[in-house]
Amino acid sequence: MSKKAAPSFSKALFSGVVTDDLLFPYPKLSREEAENLDIMRDTFRKFADDTIDAHLIDEQARLPDKVLQGLKELGFMGMTIPEKYDGFGLSVTAYVKMLDLIAGYDAGVVLTIGAHLSIGLKALLQFGNEEQKKKYLPKLASGEMVAAYCLTEPGAGSDAAGIKTRAVRDEKQGCYILNGSKLWITNGGFADFFTVFAKEPINGPDGEVKDKISAFIVTRDMPGVSSGKAEHKMGIRGSSTAAIFFEDVKVPFENQLGEPGRGFKIAMEVLNSGRLGLAGGSLGGLKAVFKQAIAHIKQRSQFEKTLDQFEMIQEKIGQIAIDIFASESMIYMTTALLDRGDVDYSLESAMCKIRATEVTWNGVNECLQMVGGLGYMKEYPYERAVRDARINPIFEGTNEILRMFVALSGLQERGEYLRKLGKALRGPIKGFGLLTDYATSWVKERVSTDRIREVHSSLNTPKVNFEIWAKNFHFAVERALIHNGKNIIYREMIQERLADAAIDLYAMITTISRVDTLINEKGEAKCQREIRLCNAFADQAWRRVRRNLLMIDHNLDRDIKEISSFVVEEGSYPFEVQ
Amino acid sequence: MNIAVCIKQVPDTETRIKLSEDRSRVVEDDINFIMNPYDEFAVEEALKLQEKNGGEVTYISLGPDRVSSALRSALAMGGDKAIHIKTDKVPEDPQVTAQALTAVLKETSYDLVLLGKQAIDDDHAQMPSLLAEKLGWPAVTVVVKLMVENGRVKAEREIDGAHEIVESSLPAIIGTQRGLNEPRYASLKGIMRAKKIQIEERTLTLQPSSLSVAGFEFPPAKQAGKIVGKDASAVPELLRLLHEEAKVI
Ligand SMILES: Cc1cc2nc3c(=O)[nH]c(=O)nc-3n(C[C@H](O)[C@H](O)[C@H](O)COP(=O)(O)OP(=O)(O)OC[C@H]3O[C@@H](n4cnc5c(N)ncnc54)[C@H](O)[C@@H]3O)c2cc1C
Repeated sequence: MSKKAAPSFSKALFSGVVTDDLLFPYPKLSREEAENLDIMRDTFRKFADDTIDAHLIDEQARLPDKVLQGLKELGFMGMTIPEKYDGFGLSVTAYVKMLDLIAGYDAGVVLTIGAHLSIGLKALLQFGNEEQKKKYLPKLASGEMVAAYCLTEPGAGSDAAGIKTRAVRDEKQGCYILNGSKLWITNGGFADFFTVFAKEPINGPDGEVKDKISAFIVTRDMPGVSSGKAEHKMGIRGSSTAAIFFEDVKVPFENQLGEPGRGFKIAMEVLNSGRLGLAGGSLGGLKAVFKQAIAHIKQRSQFEKTLDQFEMIQEKIGQIAIDIFASESMIYMTTALLDRGDVDYSLESAMCKIRATEVTWNGVNECLQMVGGLGYMKEYPYERAVRDARINPIFEGTNEILRMFVALSGLQERGEYLRKLGKALRGPIKGFGLLTDYATSWVKERVSTDRIREVHSSLNTPKVNFEIWAKNFHFAVERALIHNGKNIIYREMIQERLADAAIDLYAMITTISRVDTLINEKGEAKCQREIRLCNAFADQAWRRVRRNLLMIDHNLDRDIKEISSFVVEEGSYPFEVQ
Repeated sequence: MNIAVCIKQVPDTETRIKLSEDRSRVVEDDINFIMNPYDEFAVEEALKLQEKNGGEVTYISLGPDRVSSALRSALAMGGDKAIHIKTDKVPEDPQVTAQALTAVLKETSYDLVLLGKQAIDDDHAQMPSLLAEKLGWPAVTVVVKLMVENGRVKAEREIDGAHEIVESSLPAIIGTQRGLNEPRYASLKGIMRAKKIQIEERTLTLQPSSLSVAGFEFPPAKQAGKIVGKDASAVPELLRLLHEEAKVI
């Protein structure tokens, strides 16, 4: 898909090109799909109100059968599977909106669905052949089979390319022989359909045999497949997490997904889209607990005032609202880019995942703080929300790895053109992400412009700040490349700042687009709240961008590294007050 | 057996109602509309009767464009046809609505018309009786149990402190009450099936309204709670307040 894809907005931004035409006007669901979505949400709410008890699920650390059964019978396990294969054919945008709703009821439920649809069966959907799809998708849509995505291994987490599971062709038996084990697989305890990534010896053009990653469909009924005991977890306790073992599993040749040796690309593409579901679901969890916290502070009095009248509480409420508003602006812009199908969105989806999961983590924590000691008690949902939210920055690419991915992919674009650094940058990216296939020459062809289109006058300050900081961002990219050369690949703290700046810039422009589009539709008078949110966010965002860019040149990185190295060498914190 | 179900689309119960500046109307902009919950019992009952006796289930709703989504919601639960009587807004006078619904109900011969005993937005609770009057049919309303056998209806209605059992001939109007059944969830398959059904649209000239809403007022804001005391000694004072101030006992 990425071959024909139009360049990503953010990659272009690294090169100093603003392709705002990709992002204006803010996209919208078709009327028909919006109507279907309404009915589906309504169904889910009724079902969930009757059957989902998040407190109980958390205590018992499993989904009651009636919940899973209900999800299957109602069709939720087939939301994004095309109608042709007995699914519902939902767009990614509508799907992520559903995940947002579901997450508000229970994190384990949303993860079970997400692991099935966003990643478990995604490779089949994107890369499977017609026969494979016909054979499995209808069963996956009805929930007769539940899917899991098996990449991580004991020795290969972030460094997923280092997996050891192997699949060797056995021509005599006419199948692959699969051996190895996978760790912490969501839905692992009961899934019947596994997308498994394993190394396969492949003949190179030079005749040399090399291990390359391939993808396979493995089903539970194959002899030699087994799963470990359910992991005991901090949060998302309703979801099943287990190790999966493969012992001389005979996998038929026709179960290979996509081309041999292309498995890593498949694994990464699946995560590129899966991350949007995670981002949306994450915010959904925050919104639900935010609602509870608001209800509490409106009626809890201290010092003869309800809590909502105190400034430090207002600050928290306002900040959470601003953060959700900007994050969802990014997410639903990106889902629409994905639904369009012709735009490279890999950076953007990683940025959405980083931002949304951190906004959520901060938000649930602040919700707990707002309600005080009660938030710490198990009877209330706050501590559970904190535990549930904690996983999000870890899986589907840790936020550290994703920051490197964002920064290096953006820099690669520029490096390739600027200083022939591209090659140096390719190395590390290959370890955890995809290199884009399109040529970089388009950048040269574009007349570099640092202006975006006219927007409504009430959004002028955000617009101008975006333009100024987008330009400064580009200069910072150039400086970082010139100062560090190839070493940029080791300068993670610089990568982190560039990634954070890119995230804020993307959040700014998508928020501006969203509100500008809304004003065009409804008129300024009806959008006063949104205008305020957009202005507030953009103001906070450009200040963060400025700080991050300043710190690319002026920072304490060397000191921090030295401190880190002597502390690590000591093996513990070595000081005591005299 | 042919069954018609009349459906009203109403604001979601969680909606925070906003009024126009002059308080003459409710601002609809940000309202999430749903099928009147009492009508859901009517839909479910119609589908159960259809499963038992065959025939067709037709949904009818009156109102602006937006009400088509209430019809879709019903179709997603099951049923065969939907008719949307298109108007600029939902009439304030139940008589006007009843007259238009009657005109459409008369087009086909239905054995049974089911609808919620009341709509949760304006709470008039008049529609079953008005339709009965205009069609010249019997109406049984606040129904919590329904049986249709041998061309007759046997229904249990809720009355104060008891259930009344009523029999009636067909065709009849049934006003449905909570407790009649557990409405099914619309499955995704159902939603897909509903997508493929064309909603018939009608435009009718409505009769002039003889009733209009002069204005809206919000109920007085809830007073903060009062703690009278912490143990049994507070009971007399609590009783006094409940009696004299709150006037609830
Ligand atoms: C509940 C749960 C469910 C999961 N579900 C699935 C699933 O369904 N399928 C699946 O395949 N996997 C799954 N995983 C695995 C998950 O994706 C990995 O845990 C994750 O990728 C991180 O790998 P790791 O835990 O080995 O951490 P490590 O890779 O050991 O990383 C540890 C820390 O080091 C940081 N780090 C690593 N490399 C670098 C670097 N180069 N620079 C800077 N920092 C670095 C990381 O960001 C992290 O903070 C799941 C994990 C959990 C906990």
